[in-house]
Amino acid sequence: MIAQIKINFDLCKDPLLCRRCLSVCPSVVFVCGPTKIWKGRETDPQEYRIFGRYLDKCSGCGDCVKVCPTGAVDLGFLPKEQLAKRYQEERIAQLNERNS
Amino acid sequence: MCWVCEKYGNGEKWYLNPENYARRLYKVRKEGREASGADADPQAAGMGAGVVAELVKARISGDLKWEEEIKRDALEHAYQTHFGQVVTLDEYLQILDIAYPLVKMTCGCRRVQRGMPDEENFTCMGIGPGMYKWERWPETYRGGVEFLTPEEAKQWAMMNHKEGRVQTVDVFGTPYIGGLCQCEYPGCVAVRNRLDYDFKFLLKGHTVAKVDREKCTGCKSCLGRCQFKSLNLEVYTNKAYVDMDQCFGCGLCITACPSGAIELLDRESLPGLAENW
Ligand code: SF4
Ligand code: SF4
Ligand code: SF4
Ligand code: SF4
Ligand code: SF4
Repeated sequence: MIAQIKINFDLCKDPLLCRRCLSVCPSVVFVCGPTKIWKGRETDPQEYRIFGRYLDKCSGCGDCVKVCPTGAVDLGFLPKEQLAKRYQEERIAQLNERNS
Repeated sequence: MCWVCEKYGNGEKWYLNPENYARRLYKVRKEGREASGADADPQAAGMGAGVVAELVKARISGDLKWEEEIKRDALEHAYQTHFGQVVTLDEYLQILDIAYPLVKMTCGCRRVQRGMPDEENFTCMGIGPGMYKWERWPETYRGGVEFLTPEEAKQWAMMNHKEGRVQTVDVFGTPYIGGLCQCEYPGCVAVRNRLDYDFKFLLKGHTVAKVDREKCTGCKSCLGRCQFKSLNLEVYTNKAYVDMDQCFGCGLCITACPSGAIELLDRESLPGLAENW
């Protein structure tokens, strides 16, 4: 099974300050990156967003859900074959678009 | 010599060639859309990670051709603009005599992957004239920069090496070297993507470690030093084992060996590994 992680950005408002999921994950699945780049000033911490990027590395230990103080982490699992099929379809659509 | 040396080395290693540090001062940059806050993809954050989210999809889908295509296209672009290579501590110290100015700055990768606060995260070094205008793009230099003398920078690099961080050079606009990094697995996005997804944004160094099995006492002091999953103990013979095929030549294991039982060989001197970058 492969993890599907959704972060509720209405609940996770200041990820760089909180950073508990980033810091606890034994498999370093999460990344926290800026949604805006400004000239002349730093991106506000609130303009950062958390994503599960390395989903194929997630063991499903559940620590991220446990430590999140706002309940923002939604962790689910899908069978690998099902996801593989979905991504293969995305790929075919991508190739079709390129050849059209 | 790797392909970068052949193209930009002028007869020596490319990162010891002073020309690759001397880009035109204060290149005028067009007013970008960033002035008013350009959209960025938070999933692409970290050194060389633009295509990683897609790479993970391709990996899960099991489509090898897709994965190869993503890597080929991304690397073709990266090698013309932005990539890195492992260097030894000796080479790093030589570079600190060539490059100027030198600044300590925050490490983007560790912020992205662990949320390290910038004040605890000054493990990167920015170099070259671009540092004089860091204030134009403060997001890259979150928490500001700290200018160092070459002597201070050397002390700092040696401390980093001792603590177990790998030295790398990083290109910003090939062949201009704009960063000297202190990396580790999995905190460094470039190291992680190389090891876990064989994404060659980070190249191996010009050296390879070899264990002298006669000299190794099995003391285990070197264990835990390797950031590239290339070193363990052969329990049955009680000797250190380096996977030379996998070794990046950083030299961290050697610094820890009290018996001089590991040596760094020139990659070129090993016909079986000479093209293994
Ligand atoms: S379930 Fe465990 S491994 Fe997966 S993202 Fe959460 S903390 Fe990391
Ligand atoms: S632990 Fe929860 S609130 Fe804190 S950064 Fe992670 S998702 Fe956001
Ligand atoms: S390459 Fe290394 S030092 Fe540079 S930002 Fe990434 S982890 Fe930090
Ligand atoms: S085996 Fe030694 S030289 Fe090779 S990558 Fe590991 S620590 Fe570095
Ligand atoms: S530190 Fe040196 S002597 Fe000790 S196990 Fe490693 S290679 Fe052998």
